[in-house]
Amino acid sequence: MSNELASINRDELLLEVKDLKKHFPIRKGVIRRSTGLVKAVDGVNLYVKKGETLGLVGESGCGKTTTGRTIIRLLDPTDGEIHFNDPKIGWVDLAKMERKDLMQVRPHMQIIFQDPFSSLDPRMTVQRIVSEPLMINKLATGSELQDRVAELLRTVGMRPEYMSRYPHAFSGGQRQRIGIARALALNPKLIICDEPVSALDVSIQAQVLNLLEDLQQDLDLTYIFVAHDLSVVEHISDRVAVMYVGRLVELASTENLYYSPKHPYTEALMAAVPKPDPRKRDRPIKLPGEVASPANPPSGCYFHPRCRYAKDICSKETPPLKEVAPEHFAACHFAGELKLRGVLA
Amino acid sequence: MNQSSESTTKSVFEGEDTIIKVRDLHTYFYTDLGISRALNGVNLEIPRGKVMGVVGESGCGKSVTALSIMRMVAKPGKIVQGDITFFRKDKKKNDAIEEINLTKLEGMGPEMRSIRGAQMSMIFQEPMTSLNPSYTIGDQIMEAIILHQNVDKVEAERRAVEILDGVGMANPSLIVKRYPHELSGGMRQRAMISLALSCTPAVLFADEPTTALDVTTEAQILDLMRDLQKRIDMSIVFITHNLGVVAQMCDYVTVMYLGRVVEQATIDDTFYNPMHPYTSSLLRSIPHVGSHQKDRLKPIRGVVPDPYSKVKGCPFHPRCDKAMRGLCDVKVPGLTVVGKSHTVRCFLHSDVEEESTYVQ
Ligand SMILES: Nc1ncnc2c1ncn2[C@@H]1O[C@H](COP(=O)(O)OP(=O)(O)OP(=O)(O)O)[C@@H](O)[C@H]1O
Ligand SMILES: Nc1ncnc2c1ncn2[C@@H]1O[C@H](COP(=O)(O)OP(=O)(O)OP(=O)(O)O)[C@@H](O)[C@H]1O
Ligand code: SF4
Ligand code: SF4
Ligand SMILES: [Mg+2]
Ligand SMILES: [Mg+2]
Repeated sequence: MSNELASINRDELLLEVKDLKKHFPIRKGVIRRSTGLVKAVDGVNLYVKKGETLGLVGESGCGKTTTGRTIIRLLDPTDGEIHFNDPKIGWVDLAKMERKDLMQVRPHMQIIFQDPFSSLDPRMTVQRIVSEPLMINKLATGSELQDRVAELLRTVGMRPEYMSRYPHAFSGGQRQRIGIARALALNPKLIICDEPVSALDVSIQAQVLNLLEDLQQDLDLTYIFVAHDLSVVEHISDRVAVMYVGRLVELASTENLYYSPKHPYTEALMAAVPKPDPRKRDRPIKLPGEVASPANPPSGCYFHPRCRYAKDICSKETPPLKEVAPEHFAACHFAGELKLRGVLA
Repeated sequence: MNQSSESTTKSVFEGEDTIIKVRDLHTYFYTDLGISRALNGVNLEIPRGKVMGVVGESGCGKSVTALSIMRMVAKPGKIVQGDITFFRKDKKKNDAIEEINLTKLEGMGPEMRSIRGAQMSMIFQEPMTSLNPSYTIGDQIMEAIILHQNVDKVEAERRAVEILDGVGMANPSLIVKRYPHELSGGMRQRAMISLALSCTPAVLFADEPTTALDVTTEAQILDLMRDLQKRIDMSIVFITHNLGVVAQMCDYVTVMYLGRVVEQATIDDTFYNPMHPYTSSLLRSIPHVGSHQKDRLKPIRGVVPDPYSKVKGCPFHPRCDKAMRGLCDVKVPGLTVVGKSHTVRCFLHSDVEEESTYVQ
């Protein structure tokens, strides 16, 4: 994809991922012999601009979480490049970095998890949870540490007086705020938000989304926002990437992706979003069969067994992700020709 | 409460016929922490042959309402007050309506069990709660069919395959031989819907039936439920907190807050003319996909009070932007008809007060 990116000034980018792969061995039997591979991430190409939110969507198991975790090297990639524009040292390829060198860059990248009920250690006080990253990186001690934790809690809209309490004393929305405070402790540039509001009630969801938007403004943060709720993704994202069985099938501005998609899978997703308007009722596009397994994907275009536009070539050749309009990428042999329907306006 | 004046099935929803009417229902849970007042005077009507959505924040009593009507509330829970009337239509008797007060029946008694099998069923959010892991899908559906429809095994199997086919399951004659764990999430959900529909219920309670599924699977299951609902003319009570799903699925909407119904209206009124401040706040708090708008979301301030506490006055007043001091924090508004097919419980629209709200 890098050639097509010539038009974008690399100084504007924070991250550029090339052909990223993460394969997990499938182990069977008592001696745990490897009998195959789950190709959870199988050639992901994307870029993220400084200060933007890139939404990452796709069905359960398509590899969103694995992509996010591999990008920040919580998982080691099987193959590919992860170029990160470090504010101090400039461009580095995280995929090739040794663990000890990673220590320098890792603080710039944080993650917020889906489940506010299990992602916080129940035996730690809020003070401990939020201060841990600062202690590990030896960035503050004593009263300075206290002050920083208090400041972080205030930043996420919580009262510092709550510091000595344990997570169970807080509601889902409050726990998610604690998780965010912890993620902010090291002044990160990039935050992977992995389904941060999926487990929350609608009204609490709105509070957390607003908080994330405010923080982005105030602290100049860049987000990769993983979610399966396409309404939330439309609301928060500047651009959106759609994944299907370990690969990106489409990458575009939110507006283009939602209203003039170029990939048949994106079209099916858009038709399926339940619109909160009874005067705009829509019927889903029939998708026969099931999502392909990343352990045993079909030939050619992974979407071909379910695609209503598929032709002979689709089961034979894998379509590459190519730029079909400025900054609009799609992996479909017919991306330029098909007239596809976006979300009903 | 005197029921004799309400013995007709005429509905607050214009042109509809009521199949279930709930009056002043209180269901409490007696726990170590105290009394959890899950339902605190629920009043609602379920229209016959229509889809009614039930929405509201987590803990407002959506599931307990369905379980109470089905008489499946288990200890430490108990229905402490109220009436649930089921207007049963008897096809063999020229569609004569029989009025049954479900609260007077024994929850686990033979009558209630027979109603649960033959006229009411429920789909749960987690399919494994109603599918038995040690029997094949086919056996489970066939058992339900044989139990209620007086047919032999061969005919039951034929019908089981037919029902699975009807819910869009590929290869239904193979699927009947499979065990639940051999199916994907979406297939299990379809199997559970088949099981719930095997007795062609008059009322189906669907409790978050698609919340755990991907959008494409969800959309397909919703489409299917809508088709089936039209085909066999059943009433669906669709519990969800996804307002998008409500807009796509339902004819009417019941909005609940803290164990009470605060508004009932047509689907169009709910979205275009909501009258209860809570309903409007809920709608403002969600992103509206397809609107091209990126306006800031407007969360409802504060949180739902816990069900162990007793809120004085209108239960929503601590979070309501329109609360009137000296009124809303003192008196409890009653559910009143405010327009065509529209009832609401709020002093902005009526000065009707409600007397007792907590049973001791
Ligand atoms: N540690 C692991 N070992 C083996 N397989 C794994 C591992 N982690 C993930 N997988 C597999 O990789 C695939 C992608 O998983 P991943 O969690 O990234 O998907 P996801 O898109 O985040 O899904 P969801 O929406 O359900 O969170 C799945 O098939 C999953 O089973
Ligand atoms: N077994 C139980 N013991 C104690 N309290 C209970 C029990 N079951 C339900 N409750 C309480 O009853 C209230 C209503 O619960 P219910 O499950 O009906 O909520 P809901 O509206 O379905 O919420 P959700 O959207 O989270 O499913 C809650 O406050 C809940 O804590
Ligand atoms: S390449 Fe072929 S099968 Fe794949 S999405 Fe395009 S038309 Fe469909
Ligand atoms: S009765 Fe008062 S507090 Fe309650 S919803 Fe109406 S205006 Fe708000
Ligand atoms: Mg995930
Ligand atoms: Mg529930």
